[in-house]
Amino acid sequence: MTAQLMEVKGLSKSFGTMKAVKSIDFSIQEGRCVALLGPNGAGKTTTIRMLTGLLAPTAGEVSFRSLAPGEDRRALIGYLPQTPAFHNWMSGMEYVVYAGRLCGLGVSEAKNRAKELLERVGLADAAKRKLGGYSGGMKQRLGLAQALVHQPKLLVMDEPVSALDPLGRREVLRLLKELKSETTVLFSTHVLHDAEELCDDVVIIRSGEVALQGSLASIRSQHRQPVIELKLDEDNTRGMDWARAFVQRTNSGEASYSWLSEAELRGNRLHLTAAHMDQARQALLEELARHSVPFSRLEVGYSSLEDLFMKVVGE
Amino acid sequence: MNGANEVYRGTHRGAEAPRSATRSSGGAVFLTLLGKECLELLRSFKLIWVPIVFAVLGIMQPVLSYYMPIIIEKAGNMPEGTVIEIPAPMGSQVLADTLSQFGVMGILILALACMGIVSGERNSGASALVLVKPVSYASYILSKWLSIMLLSWGSLLLGYGAAWYYTWLLIEYVDVVPFLLSFVLYGLWFSFVLTVTLLFSTALRSAAGAAFTSLGAAILLTVLAGLIPKYMAWSPGALTGLAYQAATSPGWLQMEPASWWAVITALIAIAALLAASVVLLKRAPARD
Amino acid sequence: MNETLELSKMVGLLVPLIILQLILMIIALVLCVKTEETRGPKLMWVLIIIFGQLIGPIAFFLFGRRQA
Repeated sequence: MTAQLMEVKGLSKSFGTMKAVKSIDFSIQEGRCVALLGPNGAGKTTTIRMLTGLLAPTAGEVSFRSLAPGEDRRALIGYLPQTPAFHNWMSGMEYVVYAGRLCGLGVSEAKNRAKELLERVGLADAAKRKLGGYSGGMKQRLGLAQALVHQPKLLVMDEPVSALDPLGRREVLRLLKELKSETTVLFSTHVLHDAEELCDDVVIIRSGEVALQGSLASIRSQHRQPVIELKLDEDNTRGMDWARAFVQRTNSGEASYSWLSEAELRGNRLHLTAAHMDQARQALLEELARHSVPFSRLEVGYSSLEDLFMKVVGE
Repeated sequence: MNGANEVYRGTHRGAEAPRSATRSSGGAVFLTLLGKECLELLRSFKLIWVPIVFAVLGIMQPVLSYYMPIIIEKAGNMPEGTVIEIPAPMGSQVLADTLSQFGVMGILILALACMGIVSGERNSGASALVLVKPVSYASYILSKWLSIMLLSWGSLLLGYGAAWYYTWLLIEYVDVVPFLLSFVLYGLWFSFVLTVTLLFSTALRSAAGAAFTSLGAAILLTVLAGLIPKYMAWSPGALTGLAYQAATSPGWLQMEPASWWAVITALIAIAALLAASVVLLKRAPARD
Repeated sequence: MNETLELSKMVGLLVPLIILQLILMIIALVLCVKTEETRGPKLMWVLIIIFGQLIGPIAFFLFGRRQA
């Protein structure tokens, strides 16, 4: 059984007349890993900054169930911004100890925690070096260490791997995989792949609104649609003409096929979203035979999360 | 906190009870922030070079006053037999001159050294990482303010003390009371100007903007206090004039009620400026 | 005032002043050489620090280093 950790209700933010976030609702269950997924400019960072208390919302509220009245919600959150900035004159060790002390840890406790965490994020050897000389990947890992220093209930990260090179990215992803079994995690990303790889739940936002949310598994099964992809011979005008006419007929409503729900021509690929797979296969083959369409490949399958994501955010 | 709260905590964070017990108070957090500011002053060498500059300025003034007649004589190319009458400087006058030197060079250096104290961290995003932790905005601002005070009062004391000592060696002994009184009044003026710098460092993106706004305000206030002393005697701008008077008058300066008001308004203004800085910071703890 | 300067007294008084200025200059020079990046060419700053009297080192401390 999972208990609710945090709830966001009607969270909105306007900058002047621009509404960056328009009344977002979602909740986070304890122990889950949640991805805030959306294209750039969808309002992910704004939402995250409001969650962490760095930005005052125009309307709405963020509430933690385990928060006693009068207690600071920042005590429960560990935050890693997209590109964390530190005091460059400090060493890695000094910074994590400092972070721990700011979270109310005692001197020796903060030191022990810092040592443990630096070891864990692979910075033990660089602990005494000045932060000014850290690479992007090292800074990200240090950011992770300082965010975890007070064992937060919720780890919040803004695009944790977007700014990293492939090596640093793999390293941080590996750490995150480990961490998500220990604490609740919320992170934003514009890369579906990262979300799929790490998280249990997704909240997809588009232009400041929640477009779709739920567990990855349920979204996958609910929105799974049979699709057919037909690859045509590009040089063969007869085939292309047929495809164009077919798409036009379907979309204009001139001819409606009961087995077909959507048709789209992308380059030399005809994408068909089917209503009934078996009927669709049958009917399409007949159609192709009738017009003797030369095609190079016919693929039958199910829509991927990627297709869904593109559809949800693409409009 | 009451018992109900404890129960509430107990049910939801039972496993963490021992950890929360070791949590230290807000005072420890403030000291951590202050410690960081002081370490930064030290690592950036500000804690070393600013006091040295003040000491150099403080020594130079009495030395210059002492050698001035000779310098003029040597450089003056006067016709033979010209008798130059330069009255020997009064020790107290040398101290007042030193203060006015600090009032230009000293405050310029301090304002420039402190101009980025908030805006720098805010622009880089370093403040965001600090302020997402359970740290009060007031202690963040106050730790920075206190570090500025430490630097400015310390430097002023060192520089002015050096001036006083050299005046004693070269010219004459000046009583401790006028020296200390003028020091405190001038320190208060410094505090006021630098608190304005802190406010604008919080309000503005540009560090240079913060320095020049606060220096501009300082100049405006002193000029106004000089031009229309009758109406501006209560303003902090009158503090510099007051400090010169304190340095040059023997024993305790007889302060008029209006002069007391200058001290009180300066104190109130400092408190208000700090409060305004906290409010500004709270409104936008970090920038993108 | 005393017209005849005692040389030893004069030296004794000015030595601290010179030492302080030297300390400033040396700290500034060390920092200038050690820092990765200065605002403007390093050599220019070295010259400013050495020949700029009191103002040289101050200018370097205030403006010479890229803000960390």
